[in-house]
Amino acid sequence: MRILQFFLALACFFSAAFSTNPPTDKFEKYQLLSHSTSVKLDDSSYEDLVSKPRDYYSAIILTATEARYGCVICREFQSEWEIISKSWNEGSKPDDIRLLFGSLDFSMGKNTFQKLMLQTAPVVLVFPPTNGPHAKIDSAPLRFDFTGPVSAEQLYTWITRHLPAGPKPPLVRPTNYMRIVSAVTLAMGFITLVTVLSPYILPVIRNRNLWAALSLIAILLFTSGHMFNHIRKVPYVAGDGKGGISYFAGGFSNQFGMETQIIASIYGVLSFATIALAMKVPRIADKRTQQLVIIIWGTVMLGMYSFLLSVFKTKNGGYPFFLPPF
Amino acid sequence: MRLFAAAAVVCGLLLPSSVVCAESDLSSTRVQLPNDFTPPQVFKNLNLLRNTNLEKGYVRETVDVVVENVDDKPQREYYLPFPADVFGKIGGLEVRDKKSPEKGRFDAEAIETDSSNDINYYVVQFPDALAPSSQITLRISYSVLSSLSPLPATIHQSEQQYLAYTFSAYALSAYPVDNQKTKLKLPSVNVPDYTTTTGLKSGQDPERQGSVYTYGPYETAKVAPGTQYPVTVRYEFTKPVLTAHLLERDIEVSHWGGNLATEERYWLRNNGSQLEKQFSRLEWTVSTYQGFPTSALRELTFPLKPGSVDPYFTDDIGNVSTSRFRPGKVPNRDGSLELRPRFPIFGGWNYSFRIGWNNDLSLFLRKAIGSSGTYILKVPFIEGPKNPEGIQYEKVVVRVILPEGARNVQWETINGATSNGLPSLSQIHSELNDHKTFMDTLGRTALTLTIENLSDEARSSELLISYDYTLWDGLRKPVTITAGLFTVFVALWFVGSLDVSIKKR
Amino acid sequence: MASPSLDVLLKGNSSRNVRGLLRIIILCTIAAAAVSSRLFSVIRFESIIHEFDPWFNFRATKYLVQHGFYKFWDWFDDRTWHPLGRVTGGTLYPGLMVTSGVIYHVLRFLTIPVDIRNICVLLAPGFSGLTALAMYLLTNEMSSSPSAGLLAAVFMGITPGYISRSVAGSYDNEAIAIFLLVFTFYLWIKAVKNGSIMWGTLAALFYGYMVSAWGGYVFITNLIPLHVFVLLCMGRYTSRVYISYTTWYALGTLASMQIPFVGFLPIRNSDHMSALGVFGLLQLVAFADFVRGFVPGKQFQKLLTAMILIVFGFALLGLVLLTVSGVIAPWSGRFYSLWDTGYAKVHIPIIASVSEHQPTAWPAFFFDLNFLIWLFPAGVYLCFRQLKDEHVFVVIYAVLSSYFAGVMVRLMLTLTPVVCVAAALAVSHILDTYLVASKPSEASETKPTADNNQSGLRSTRNPVVGVYSYLSKFFISAMMIVYLLLFVSHCTWVTSNAYSSPSVVLASRMPDGSQHIIDDYREAYYWLRQNTPANAKIMSWWDYGYQIGGMADRPTLVDNNTWNNTHIATVGKAMSSREEVSYPILRQHDVDYVLVVFGGLLGYSGDDINKFLWMVRIAEGIWPDEVKERDYFTARGEYRVDDEATPTMRNSLMYKMSYYNFNSLFGGGQAVDRVRGARLPAEGPQLTTVEEAFTSENWIIRIYKVKDLDNFGRDHSSAVAFDKGHKKKRATKKKGPRVLRTE
Repeated sequence: MRILQFFLALACFFSAAFSTNPPTDKFEKYQLLSHSTSVKLDDSSYEDLVSKPRDYYSAIILTATEARYGCVICREFQSEWEIISKSWNEGSKPDDIRLLFGSLDFSMGKNTFQKLMLQTAPVVLVFPPTNGPHAKIDSAPLRFDFTGPVSAEQLYTWITRHLPAGPKPPLVRPTNYMRIVSAVTLAMGFITLVTVLSPYILPVIRNRNLWAALSLIAILLFTSGHMFNHIRKVPYVAGDGKGGISYFAGGFSNQFGMETQIIASIYGVLSFATIALAMKVPRIADKRTQQLVIIIWGTVMLGMYSFLLSVFKTKNGGYPFFLPPF
Repeated sequence: MRLFAAAAVVCGLLLPSSVVCAESDLSSTRVQLPNDFTPPQVFKNLNLLRNTNLEKGYVRETVDVVVENVDDKPQREYYLPFPADVFGKIGGLEVRDKKSPEKGRFDAEAIETDSSNDINYYVVQFPDALAPSSQITLRISYSVLSSLSPLPATIHQSEQQYLAYTFSAYALSAYPVDNQKTKLKLPSVNVPDYTTTTGLKSGQDPERQGSVYTYGPYETAKVAPGTQYPVTVRYEFTKPVLTAHLLERDIEVSHWGGNLATEERYWLRNNGSQLEKQFSRLEWTVSTYQGFPTSALRELTFPLKPGSVDPYFTDDIGNVSTSRFRPGKVPNRDGSLELRPRFPIFGGWNYSFRIGWNNDLSLFLRKAIGSSGTYILKVPFIEGPKNPEGIQYEKVVVRVILPEGARNVQWETINGATSNGLPSLSQIHSELNDHKTFMDTLGRTALTLTIENLSDEARSSELLISYDYTLWDGLRKPVTITAGLFTVFVALWFVGSLDVSIKKR
Repeated sequence: MASPSLDVLLKGNSSRNVRGLLRIIILCTIAAAAVSSRLFSVIRFESIIHEFDPWFNFRATKYLVQHGFYKFWDWFDDRTWHPLGRVTGGTLYPGLMVTSGVIYHVLRFLTIPVDIRNICVLLAPGFSGLTALAMYLLTNEMSSSPSAGLLAAVFMGITPGYISRSVAGSYDNEAIAIFLLVFTFYLWIKAVKNGSIMWGTLAALFYGYMVSAWGGYVFITNLIPLHVFVLLCMGRYTSRVYISYTTWYALGTLASMQIPFVGFLPIRNSDHMSALGVFGLLQLVAFADFVRGFVPGKQFQKLLTAMILIVFGFALLGLVLLTVSGVIAPWSGRFYSLWDTGYAKVHIPIIASVSEHQPTAWPAFFFDLNFLIWLFPAGVYLCFRQLKDEHVFVVIYAVLSSYFAGVMVRLMLTLTPVVCVAAALAVSHILDTYLVASKPSEASETKPTADNNQSGLRSTRNPVVGVYSYLSKFFISAMMIVYLLLFVSHCTWVTSNAYSSPSVVLASRMPDGSQHIIDDYREAYYWLRQNTPANAKIMSWWDYGYQIGGMADRPTLVDNNTWNNTHIATVGKAMSSREEVSYPILRQHDVDYVLVVFGGLLGYSGDDINKFLWMVRIAEGIWPDEVKERDYFTARGEYRVDDEATPTMRNSLMYKMSYYNFNSLFGGGQAVDRVRGARLPAEGPQLTTVEEAFTSENWIIRIYKVKDLDNFGRDHSSAVAFDKGHKKKRATKKKGPRVLRTE
């Protein structure tokens, strides 16, 4: 690895020594200047770097990392950018493709931003070489616009796609030992906690009511379309045209967050009424109260069900069935 | 197979003279002729009038010829020559005595010669020999299939279609002809070009009135028999040239259901001129809307026998919804089944489909008088579409499936005073075999008749079948099924009463 | 189903045959109802195979019936995925085809002349009848009350959630898979209950059958181990569990590995690892249990438990390592996308593009299982009352499958059985309580009840008394009856309106209310079948691949078995790029005809322009630089086909082929696309490299012939221009009288 880089450097040096075209040592300069990360640029160095003729690729991110610009993506992406440049510079790259990674921060290069008329950051520009083996006809840079957060992999594949064919160094993420260690310790702690507290926890875990409640809640959530909200990111409620709030979305195959909660509660009430009628009521010893309870639960069930039907009718026009009173 | 042989023997024994046995195979009766065969010059045709009818998608010819025996002993073999290329397309050949057609048709057989020969013969057998120097007037009628070629071969979707027909101005005959004439009946007066002969007769030839073209009369006593003078007519025929290169027709008799089920399977093709460019739905919609005549097949109409019920019209991928059925009324009003194929069938396009319907058996079947258990079935030989442009069948396979255990099967076709469009019986290949279905034990007797080169002339023809069928044959199936079910129940009970448990309970 | 019916006779306090007989009669009626309620489509239309996948199954079945089993087993199909072909025999679940093949041959042996098509069409209804029976058996294991089973059978028979996949003609794997699912569960419960090797073996056998029938077998593969695992965690280890599980796992795995398509997955794929893990764990526990029998002493037992846990942990670790190192394949895409719900949309657009892989909104639940959906939790709660092993199973099944059903619409199918079980438990409990004529005697208040245990549910503390007044009895039972009637009518309505149209034939109403059948699909397919050379390659979007293979019997480039994403993307690219780009693609894949579906004239919304974006997306996945989804949207981000459509859109082959000649249909007036409700540009698109070959009656299907290379070596656009320039001249020349040479 090192040796290879050394030879590379040597080769570059000789080529620098015996050839008279400035870009080479320009490349060398920045190559050395960037010790295996991206080069920090300002206006002048940027101009110098992208000035023709150049016989190397240069990928430059124009970003605004400082907090006062409030560019979240920039700050999030900076580390990813470093990962890319690091894994290129340290990886076994084909020595005929010469690629420089640079990053120009807004604070350092206001003029460049103005010159390029950039409203948004970050932006990645890839400058193809103007002479040399892979020279492109149009020296205009390729531009990568950020639409939402982008992972290093996506950008790296984009860049490599525009480099000439051939083996490229893979993208290596540094393993985060800190996280692993913390995870292990947490797991250990949790296990010990459980073992210590087991005499107190066990009865709770063994409690049948708890489990019943949990599973019922889960079932109610899922059957009332909670996963749909989770996947489709539906709004909680939406206003109808007249300033009011419409709790139920129109159309058979879409829904609001609140809508599903209402439905879940309806289901809950209905099934609880069923449970009460099936199990509680026959255990009431007193005739009068039993009669009363039965009537109450029965009516509740009827009302709820008819309400449910009416709601469904609104969702699915032309549904013929209904129950009084709704 | 054994049943087959048995039936053969039985038929062979019990054969009345009028009924041709199912086993009579014509290949045995054929005679092999030498290559350089010329029929004995024992006849002379005094006068020959040939009517060629081109109104339909095929050629229908009727030849009236006065024949005189010029030999000194009575003769009964009259030879009909055809060029080799036409020979294979001759259909429904029939020869009668014109004076007394009610005496029925003469037997005419194709004679095999090897293919290198350019003239092939049918030989007509007179029922009673023709005395020397006496005369007989023959009416020879036949149809020539797929001998009309579209010209130009490709047209535009909405263009008119033209057909060309080439024949010889001199009718081909094995014997010298004194004078002859040919009448062409064309479907329309629009005839862009036709051959005008030179030096055959005085005056312009042909003469035309309306759509009838007359070649001749020619005095051809001197002309050697077999001389040809090719003539071509090209006329407008903006109708589909329908050809079914195979028609399979099943007729299933069920005594239990008292039902006669018919199913027909067609492999249709339009032999008209093909599309020059691709099919354009837009033009088609327009032309259908304005009802222009077209060379594409829009609709087929099948007249069905009175009392035909629940018809169906399907093809390889299921029911075709575009069909209409008008039920008929017993006894005499025909029903009609109107089919529209899934797509219009232009020249060179194919369409294969199947139709079927049911009839009340009692209208077609009756017990023979005096005989116990002998039944006589009378069904149309072929049905099929009825339309002005006609239809030609290259091969027809009629299969009559008789009830299980029907024995002693004999069949014949009905010959009236007029032509029924069928060739003479020796041209119909027939065989008996088994057909197993609906829980048969020994299979039903199926009579299969194969004919080549039919035209829709044969719609009027009818088929008579007689067979023996006893009560026991009828009872065989219910008994078998009962026995089978009983066995199953016993087996079930036995299995149920087995104890397979390891430990004692 | 002879043996279960006998079984029914022997079971449940019916030594008196009357009840048994009555039960059999009721069950037969239920089965009949289940079958007949699925025949709407046959009655309305005809006996026809539905939608898309069934057409492939139908074709495969015909192949099996014609060429015999072994030829079918190693069937290489070169008429699909041209030019790649497909190893069909090794990449399908043969259970369905083999089943109908066997039925076919049995009927033939009885010389009953039945068409294989009718067998395929009626297979699903027939098996739904069996499913009802299996459901009865399963539920009988859950409850002591005889009514529960019958109710469950009725529910299963007619609930739309199951009918949606099993109407006559929907000849798909689910048709038999659901019966196998339920019946396998029944056998498993049996096995666990009386720990017999026989039941375990039967369960394994039917599991094997299930594996051969449907990819959803993974559900069983994970549910049963989970059941056992939970039982172990509840400290309910018994020799019964050990016997049944080991029997099931060993035999079932062997059986499943006999299917070529599954092959070694059961030991190489993460989907199946839970079963293996539980198998190992079970051995450990059994060993511990065995040892514990000999050595008393708490310390030692603690040590033992610890050891077991450690071994298990290490095994788990090893599993993870194997997975990471790649010896064990990671979760398969479809299955994984159930857990990581965002996964498919990003990585497998083809899976995401299928409508039945979308998440389920609540109306769908209510639509498919009307009031069962709110009886369902109650039933699950009832299961907690006497929490036997089988009830644990139901609870796990309920939670898991409701999650799955929430994520994917089509998995509603696996939810339905457990919903029926639970709802039947609830309803039967209510009916048993309220349909009792006898008043509870005062003495009964004091009698202690069976299910009165301290660890029970709070609601079951007090003893059961019974219901006193007839009024309340009548009230509640009447209410229940009304709900049941409502349920039946709902099911009938849903089935007849939503689930009974074979999307091959469309039905519309004439002004006079009579039904008019729109048969364009079959018209065009039959035209292809009759009037194109037998090996003309047809290119269409993959939805129609199976139908073309089945009805038109012509080779296709891509079809609904989406095994090669790149190939599909190629078709997508050809459809979505300019003619100059697509023509080379068409030539390279020697395409003869291109088929597009266009609903603009009729207002048929399921056409290709509406599916177009998926083609673009999938193509973009492979050629991000040549096809860009953005280019098909206007500046304001709308997807339009009218004047404001983007040039990319207008020049795409799909757009051109859809709207070619469409204007001239409207004469002078402006053409209107009835689906998009858009007014089309004044002059229609021009086609140079393909020509219109056939268009169905209502323009739904349009078939284009790919032109051959130009004779003079010109490119097609200039050739077309040249022809246009000279058309008049040739026309005049044709007028002249044609001279015929006859000498």
